[in-house]
Amino acid sequence: MSVLLKLTNVAVFVGDTCLLEPISLELKQGQPLTILGQTGSGKSLLAQAIMGLLPDTLSFQGDIEVFGKALTLEQRQALWGRDLVMLPQEPWHALDPLMKGINQVAEVYQHVQGKSQNDAQASAQQDLLDVGLADSAHKRPGQLSGGMAQRLAISAATAGGAHVILADEPTKGLDVSRRDGIVRLLQSRSIEGSLLTITHDVAIARQLGGSLLVMKQGRLVEQGDALDVLTNPQNHYTRELIAAEPKSWPDVSVALANKTTETVLVAENLAIERGGRTLFENVSFSINKGEVVGVVGDSGCGKSSLGDALLGLLPVSAGLVTRSNHTAKPYQWLKLYQDPPSAFTSSVSLGTLLKDLVDLHNIAQERIVPLMTRLNLPESILQRTCLDVSGGELQRFAILRALLLDPVFLFADEPTSRLDPITAKDVTNLLVELARETGCAVLMVSHDPDLVRKTCDTVITL
Amino acid sequence: MKAMLLKRVLQLVTVVWGVGTLTFILMRSLPGDMAYRIAASRYGQDNVNSEAAALVRQELNLDQGAFAAYWHWLLDLLQFNLGHSLVSGLPVIDAIQHMLGHSLLLALAGLLVSILIAVPVGLFCAWRGNPLDSIFMGLSSMIRAMPVFVLGVLFILLFALHWNWFPVAGFGTPAHLVLPALTLALSLAAVSNRVVRDSAKHTFQAAFYQFSKVKGLSAWQTFRRHGVRNIAVPVVAFFGIQLVSMIEGIVMIESLFSWPGIGHGLAHAIFARDIPVIQGAALVMGVLFVALNTLVDMLCLWIDPRGVREA
Amino acid sequence: MKFTMTGSQWVGLGVLLSLLIFAVLGMMFSPFSISQQDLNAVLDSPSAVHWLGTDHFGRSMLTRMAHAVGLSFALGVLCVVTSSLLGTALGVWAVWGGKKVDHILGVMVNILLALPGLVVVLLFAAIVPGSFWILYLAISLVQWVEYFRVVRAITQNVIHSPARQSSQMMGFGHWYQFKRHIWPAIVPSVFTLAAFGGANAILTMASLGFVYVGIQPPLAELGLMTVELFPFYSDAPWLLAQPLVVIALMVFGFHLLAGKRV
Repeated sequence: MSVLLKLTNVAVFVGDTCLLEPISLELKQGQPLTILGQTGSGKSLLAQAIMGLLPDTLSFQGDIEVFGKALTLEQRQALWGRDLVMLPQEPWHALDPLMKGINQVAEVYQHVQGKSQNDAQASAQQDLLDVGLADSAHKRPGQLSGGMAQRLAISAATAGGAHVILADEPTKGLDVSRRDGIVRLLQSRSIEGSLLTITHDVAIARQLGGSLLVMKQGRLVEQGDALDVLTNPQNHYTRELIAAEPKSWPDVSVALANKTTETVLVAENLAIERGGRTLFENVSFSINKGEVVGVVGDSGCGKSSLGDALLGLLPVSAGLVTRSNHTAKPYQWLKLYQDPPSAFTSSVSLGTLLKDLVDLHNIAQERIVPLMTRLNLPESILQRTCLDVSGGELQRFAILRALLLDPVFLFADEPTSRLDPITAKDVTNLLVELARETGCAVLMVSHDPDLVRKTCDTVITL
Repeated sequence: MKAMLLKRVLQLVTVVWGVGTLTFILMRSLPGDMAYRIAASRYGQDNVNSEAAALVRQELNLDQGAFAAYWHWLLDLLQFNLGHSLVSGLPVIDAIQHMLGHSLLLALAGLLVSILIAVPVGLFCAWRGNPLDSIFMGLSSMIRAMPVFVLGVLFILLFALHWNWFPVAGFGTPAHLVLPALTLALSLAAVSNRVVRDSAKHTFQAAFYQFSKVKGLSAWQTFRRHGVRNIAVPVVAFFGIQLVSMIEGIVMIESLFSWPGIGHGLAHAIFARDIPVIQGAALVMGVLFVALNTLVDMLCLWIDPRGVREA
Repeated sequence: MKFTMTGSQWVGLGVLLSLLIFAVLGMMFSPFSISQQDLNAVLDSPSAVHWLGTDHFGRSMLTRMAHAVGLSFALGVLCVVTSSLLGTALGVWAVWGGKKVDHILGVMVNILLALPGLVVVLLFAAIVPGSFWILYLAISLVQWVEYFRVVRAITQNVIHSPARQSSQMMGFGHWYQFKRHIWPAIVPSVFTLAAFGGANAILTMASLGFVYVGIQPPLAELGLMTVELFPFYSDAPWLLAQPLVVIALMVFGFHLLAGKRV
C-alpha cells in the first residue's frame, strides 16, 4: 500500500496561540482515514493546511508529503483538481449561485481535463446521471436540496480526476436518510485513491471504516483502526463521544400504561399547505399531560410547521386543533427554538430578560435559584448577553424561562440540532426529565429517529 | 417580472400626475390674470389677446372653480399638449427635444467614464488590498464629501481658468464636454468604486470562488467564470440607486457649465417662473428616471435570474 | 443601550460641533449684520475688524458665514428629526399594521420614488421662492422614504424572528416587543441614515442656492454665496474658498459621523 499523504508534526497557530497541536498521520492507498471530533477541535484547520487554504492570519508548521514528495504550498496548489481535492462543508455556498449545475461540472472537464465543450457537456451529463441528478442538471444551486447540492459538489470536485479526496463534514445539515448515500458516493469516488474525512458524527466514522483519529481541542487523543477504537475506546473523551450518539443513549421513554390520561391537546385530520404545496394531510393524534411526543421525518416534510400549527403560529389548511386544558393561560403554550441565539435579543443581558419575565408574571424569586442549579446554569451568565454564552447554556436558559411560566405544552423544534453531541445529550435529557416532573406535555421534533426513539413516549412519522 | 413592470407603469402615471399637479398649483399661485397666463402658455406669448384669454376662461371654467381647471390642465398634459414657453413663446416640446439630446450625451459620457474609473479601481483595491485600498478609500471619501458643484467649481478654477486646458462653459466642441462629464464621472465613481470593491472582495472570499480553484480551475478561469457575473450583481443593482445621484448631478453640472440640457432648462425655468417649461422639463426627467430604472431592473434580472431587486 | 463610536466618528462629531460653535458665537457676538454694507471696504482681506474679510458689498464675511452655517444646521437638524421620526414610525406601522396599511404606504412610497429627490425639491421651491420652510417641507418629504424602507425591511425580519415570537408567546405586549426587539435592531441604521440625511439636506439647500432658486439674497446661504463670490475668484480667492470649504467640511463631518456606508 503506497502512502499518498504523509503529515509530520503539522501544527497551526494564530499568533502565538496554538490552534492545532503537532499531529502526524499517513493516508494510504485504499485505506480511508477519518478524523473525529467536536466542532472547534481544530480538525477543519488540518484539511485546510493540507490543501494550502489556510487564511493569511494563521501560520503553519511541519512537513506535508504528497505522493512521497515534500511539496511547498504552491506545488500542492498545482495538484488541485487533478490529484488532490477538498469537498466543502456547505455545498450550497461552495457552488456558484448563478451557474446551472451541469455547467459547474462541465467546466472542470473542459478547463482541467482539456476536453472540447461538447465532450465536457456529455461527460457532465453522464456524471449527473450517475448520481441521480439528471433531471436537475439545469437547475441552479438555490433550487436544489442539501443532499442534491452535495452530490453535485462531489461530481464537480472529482471531475478533474483527483482520487485523493479530503471531505470536511460532508454530511453536515443532511437528513439521516441522505447521509448514507453521500458516504457511499464518496467511497466509490476514492476507490482508486483514498479518502480523508473530517466529521463529528460517530456513525459516519463507523460506516467509513479504515483508520480513525479522535481529536479534542486541537489535540490528538486516540488513534487506531476505526472499528477497534469505536467498539473498544480507551480514551475517556472517545467514550463520551460514542455515548453521546443518540443510538447509545439510555432509553428514557415511558410505557403507555404508566401515563396519566388527562389530555392536553387533540389534533384531528390536520393538513398544512405552504407555498401552494401540501406538506401533509390527515394527521390525527392527541397529547396527554406529561407526555413526550416525538415527530420525525426528512427536512421539508412539515415537522416544524406541525408544531407551529399546534401553537397557532401557522394556519392549518384543514382539520382541527383543540386545546383540552381550558384553565391554562395563552403564555403557557410555548416553544423552544432550534437555533438558541436567534431566540433571544442581544440588546440586553440575560438577567434583564429574566427580570422582565419575572416582573410581567409576578413569578416568585425563590423559584429561580433551585431551577438554575437543576439546569446547571451558573449565576454569572445573567450578566452576559445571548451572544456571549454557549449554545448549550442558552438552550438551558430558554428551558428555564419556559418552565418558570409553568407551561402545559412545549413545542421543542429540534432543540439540540445546533449543539455538539455531548451537550445535546445533556440538554435533551434535562428537558425530558423536567417536563415529566412538571407534567408539561412536549412535542419534540427531530431529524434523528434514534434520538426520538430513545426519549419520546409516542412517535409520529411524517 | 410582471409585478416589476406594473410597478413601473404605476410610477409613470404618478410622475405625470405629480408633475401636473405641482405645476398647476404653481400656475395658480402666480399673481395676475390666470386666463391670460394660460392662454400665453398654450398659444405662445405673441398670439395672446383678450379674446384668447376669454376663450380659455370659458373653456376651463376659471370663474367657476379650481377643480374644473385642474381637470382640464391634466387633460392637456395627457395629450402631451405641453404648450409654449412664457418667456420665449416657443413650443415647449421643441425646446425639450433639443435639451434632452444634450442631457443624454452628458449622462452617457459621465456614466461611461465613471465605469471606466470605478471598475478597475474597485477590482484592483479588492485584489491587492492595503495600502492601495486605504489610499483609494480616503480619496473616495474626500470626493464624496464635496457636492457636485463644488467639484465642478474646482475643476473650472484649475483646468479652465488656471491652466486654460478646457473651455469654462458652453457647448459645441468635444472639448466642452470634458469638464462636465469628468465632474459627473468622478462624483459617481467616488461612490461606485467602493461598491465594486466590496462586491469583488465578497466574491473573492466566497466559498464557491475557492471551490472553483480547488476543482482545478486557474485563477483567471475562476475569475472569468465565477467572478465577473457574481461581482456584477450588486454593482448593477447599485447603478439603479445611483440614477438619483446621476440626475441630480446633471441638474447641478448643467447649470454650472451652462450646458444646454434639461437640468439647466429646469433651473432656469424655475428662476424665471416659466411654468410650461418647468412642467415639460420635470416631466421628461421623471419619465427618463422611470425608464432608466426599468432598464436597470431588466439588466439585473438578466444577470441574476434568481429574483427581482428590491424597489 | 450600548452605543460605542469609532475614532473617525468622534472626529466627525468634533468637526460638526466646531462648526456649530463657530456659527452660534458668530451670530451672537459679531458687531455686524449680514446685510450691513460698507462700500469703502470691498473685497478686503482678513483683518482685525473683519476676521474673514469682506465680500463685494463690503459685508462682513464672518457674520455671513456664521449665519449661513447656522441656517444649514437648522435645516439639517429639522429635516433629520422630522423625516426620521416619520419614516421610522411609518416603517414599523407598515409591518405591524397589517397588509392593508403596508400596501397603502407602499404605493405612497412608490409615488415619491418616481421622481429624483432634487427635482421634487426644485418643484416645491418654485411654488414659494426663497422660503426656508418650503425647503424644509420638501426635503423632509423626500427623505422620510429612505428611513421608511430601511426600517420596514429590518422590522419585517424582527417580527418574524424567533426572539420576537418567543417574547410574544410569553405574554409580552407591543411596547415591550418594540423596546427590546425592534428598536435595538433599527437604531444603528436609523443613526447612519440620519447622519447621511443631515449631509444631504445641507447639500440640497446649497445646490438650490447655487442655481439661484433656493434662499434668496440678501440672506446668507452657502450655495448662494458660492455663486455670488465666484466672479471674484482671482481678486479674492480666499472669499470663494470659505463657502466651498465649509460645505465640504459639513458634509465630510456628517459622513464621518455616519461611520459605515449604506
